[in-house]
Amino acid sequence: MTNPTEVSLTKSPKPIAIIVLVAGLVTQIAGCESKSEYPSRPITLVCPWSVGGGTDRVSRQLAVFLEEDLKVPVNVINATGGQGVTGHMRGLAARPDGYTLAMMTLELNMLHWRNLTDLTWEDCRPLMSVNEDAAALFVRADAPWQSLTELEADVRKSPGTLEASGTAKLGSWHLALAGWLISMDLDPEAILWIPHGGAAPSLQELMSGELEMVCCSLPEARSLFLQGEVRCLGVMSEQRVASETFADIPTFREQGYDWVLVGWRGIGIHPDTPDAICATLIDSLRRVVSGEITINGQSFPEFMEDQEFDHTWREAGEFGRFLQVNDAQFGEILGREEFQEVTSGSIGPMDYPYVLFAALGIALFALGIHRVRRGPTTDSGLVKDLTPDGIVNFLLVVGGVAAYLLLSDSLGFLITASVLLCLLFWRLGTKIGVSILLSIVIVPSVYVLFGNLLRVELPRGVLGF
Amino acid sequence: MCCLATCCESNFRAGCWAFDMNEAFETALANAFDLQILFVMLLAAIYGLFVGAIPGLTATMAVALFVPFTFFLDTSTGLAAIVTLVACSIFAGDIPTTLVRIPGTPSSAAYTDDAYAMTRQGLHERSLGVSLVFSVVGGLLGSAVLIVAAPQLARVATQFSTFEYFWLFLLGLSCAAIVSRGSRLKGALALIIGLLFATIGMGEVHSQPRLTFGVAELITGINFIPAMIGLFGVSEVLRNVLVANDARLESQSNGQSSEQPSLRASLSGSIGRVFGGLPKRLWQGKVGVLRSSAIGSTVGMLPGAGADIAAWISYAASKRLSKEPDQYGTGSLEGIANATNANNSALAGAWIPALVLGIPGDSITAIVIGVLMMKRVTPGPEIFENPEQSVLVYGIYITFILANLLLIPLGFVAIQTGSLLVRVPRRVLMPVILLFCMVGAYAIERSSFDVWVMLGMGVLGFVLEEYEIPLGPVVLGIILGGRLEESFVRILTKAEPIPAFSERPIAYLLGALCLSLWLTPLALAIYKRASKTKRQPGPTNGSSG
Repeated sequence: MTNPTEVSLTKSPKPIAIIVLVAGLVTQIAGCESKSEYPSRPITLVCPWSVGGGTDRVSRQLAVFLEEDLKVPVNVINATGGQGVTGHMRGLAARPDGYTLAMMTLELNMLHWRNLTDLTWEDCRPLMSVNEDAAALFVRADAPWQSLTELEADVRKSPGTLEASGTAKLGSWHLALAGWLISMDLDPEAILWIPHGGAAPSLQELMSGELEMVCCSLPEARSLFLQGEVRCLGVMSEQRVASETFADIPTFREQGYDWVLVGWRGIGIHPDTPDAICATLIDSLRRVVSGEITINGQSFPEFMEDQEFDHTWREAGEFGRFLQVNDAQFGEILGREEFQEVTSGSIGPMDYPYVLFAALGIALFALGIHRVRRGPTTDSGLVKDLTPDGIVNFLLVVGGVAAYLLLSDSLGFLITASVLLCLLFWRLGTKIGVSILLSIVIVPSVYVLFGNLLRVELPRGVLGF
Repeated sequence: MCCLATCCESNFRAGCWAFDMNEAFETALANAFDLQILFVMLLAAIYGLFVGAIPGLTATMAVALFVPFTFFLDTSTGLAAIVTLVACSIFAGDIPTTLVRIPGTPSSAAYTDDAYAMTRQGLHERSLGVSLVFSVVGGLLGSAVLIVAAPQLARVATQFSTFEYFWLFLLGLSCAAIVSRGSRLKGALALIIGLLFATIGMGEVHSQPRLTFGVAELITGINFIPAMIGLFGVSEVLRNVLVANDARLESQSNGQSSEQPSLRASLSGSIGRVFGGLPKRLWQGKVGVLRSSAIGSTVGMLPGAGADIAAWISYAASKRLSKEPDQYGTGSLEGIANATNANNSALAGAWIPALVLGIPGDSITAIVIGVLMMKRVTPGPEIFENPEQSVLVYGIYITFILANLLLIPLGFVAIQTGSLLVRVPRRVLMPVILLFCMVGAYAIERSSFDVWVMLGMGVLGFVLEEYEIPLGPVVLGIILGGRLEESFVRILTKAEPIPAFSERPIAYLLGALCLSLWLTPLALAIYKRASKTKRQPGPTNGSSG
């Protein structure tokens, strides 16, 4: 790479200045890295659920306070999908350098019992739990049931007619409801579970009259509850909730059902992370969750209270013991025979794709017939006047992006993208000197633009940039 | 009954509060014209235009990034900034759509082909001018609906259940397949391909992942943003580098710039090119404007639907009723106007259930609800009645209008800046577009796997276009496929899969509309063919231009 650079440099003095400038910029970016003290660059907090949901809100608030305390940017990314598998994996399997934290939710203790992932709570180093919200059961304001006992009587009278939702099938709130049914020696399908993407769409469905009840956490149903549109039959916590809004809601225990299910959210990190870094993080998290850090006179617990989120916190070791107990509870529910039957629903996951494959076949067949009838057409088919040059260009684009993807993790965005861009400029007919110049200006600009202004950190290589 | 009672009650209360309401409105008006708010709105507008114009960065992401700033702003300023940010970024999505064929937002996918065709004819400024003005008009009409009827409409929106959503999704998808350029059969094929991609991974309704072929990342499924960037953007790069050697790339770009007036064209000249003839166009298309805004507001206020479906349905309705349906897909300004009009109307619609019921209409309003709760404001009917909080509501109304008006000058500047891109020679532009595609696909979830998806989709898009299979339905299939299947499975899981007509009349109506969309042209074609073969057995035409 050095040879062509020198050739082009001799042509005009201007590029030298720019290259020096860019080199300075790069060393400056790299320079930040060489500081040995943690943290010295932006930290990423991986949230396994989508933007706007409860976990996302907690993550973003926590990030703002951590940022205030650690003095480096803390960026939240939403790695959604796979009912939480993706996000937990991304957060806990990242490089153990302390720059990627995982926001973990109770699904971590459920997914492996369903064989969806090998990841368990033992694959994380628990740092701090920040929130514990119990499940609660909501019905419409005009529903006939005033208490759980009345509901139980109806379920026993005609099992399998009432419909509930709150999340996906076998998701956290489904287990909460099914676990309650099991604890009463009822079939877990005595109340049908209609899968929905989350509490918000379930509540919408409840309002439209298509569901009889929604099981979700208290803050998720807060506005409809305050408007008197929904009634809460009970909350699955040990004791009544401290918040003023929900203080009148009786627990399941008070109504004679020995059933408790509490959702939790907490921060974890890759288990190989150095102890010193974990200690720094735990200290900082403690300052945040205990309310020591304030922004504009407001602390994290106050922010949580404003949104009716619980803000119980448990530190590292205690959080770990809590996770162990919680995991065992889910293992017991999900390991039950009744639940094995629930997993195989009436409609298999492949039924719908098979229908689509059939439709695809029919469409292709019809197109084939159409084509035969019309005879060979002139307007379709592969690009006319292919040139060898064109084919090389085409392959270069595809291969270049693939090479970028394979190498950017180790070499970093700056180097790989510059080489790719420069090569493409040159192949498409730009002079080599101009190509180098352009790529050496554009790529770092994009890097700085995305990293600073848009908070998207592009891949850093082993060299630190 | 219950609904009626609340309505009466609210009217009664509204009467009692009438005096306070006027006062609240005046306070809100005074607040809105506060210099600090206007300044924040201006900054938000520039930020929104910037983020929206970069492919892969969505309006939702812009708002999520903005949330920490709302901690330091008072509630009305924070909301004003979010409203402005969203309106600007949704319009800005049209800029890369038009200029380099990468839809900035999913709702631009409906008219990508039309808008890019305009650029190829050197008419990108006119096309963007139409986008801008019709976006603004759509935004204003959508705001009007929000202002006039929010509480009443929110009641209607809650009547939508799984049944209605199933038919609505199917209607949106059918519109995409039927109106796309080329034959209807190819549109259907594209749709099925999109729907198949949507089945990959683990959805909400099944407890096991499928079609992942052992690739751990696929458990998440195919993210539609990298797919969209790949299908439209990368495939265009591939086609450009393939068909031409250096000389031709040069001449193409020269040919383009020679069609345009000189670089030093006066400001009035460029205003003419962007806005010229638009008042007349607006007046002539007034029926279309009203129709599109109605579609946009209606679809937008349904939680779970949104601007993308609104744009497709509006585009389809526009084509069906147009005098020049043949132009659609090859640069129809009417199609662009009606679709962009609908997607901006939908934005205000999404606030209706969010403000009235606290149920988010889309991911942006989900964030807004979070911001409101943080500021100790609980969305609900009482925020329209409580004088203190109604200042906030009026504030939102006023900002909706201000934001849309602000969009005209700022959007013009953005168009002018963006149009410089067209003058960049293609040999330089194409690699830069590729770079932005890569970074944009990565940005959405910081995942390298998404960039692989983008690359794969780029090659697929290239192949499909060679066979004249439209790409729009593929994108909409990926976006809505999951939701369609989920609602379908939900219906089948129910104790009563087929509801009585009296219980779900809207579902039956939507169903009938959807079926007629497919069956009417089929019946017509059969009828035509039958009458044609009677007269003369001639060669059959391709279904549509």
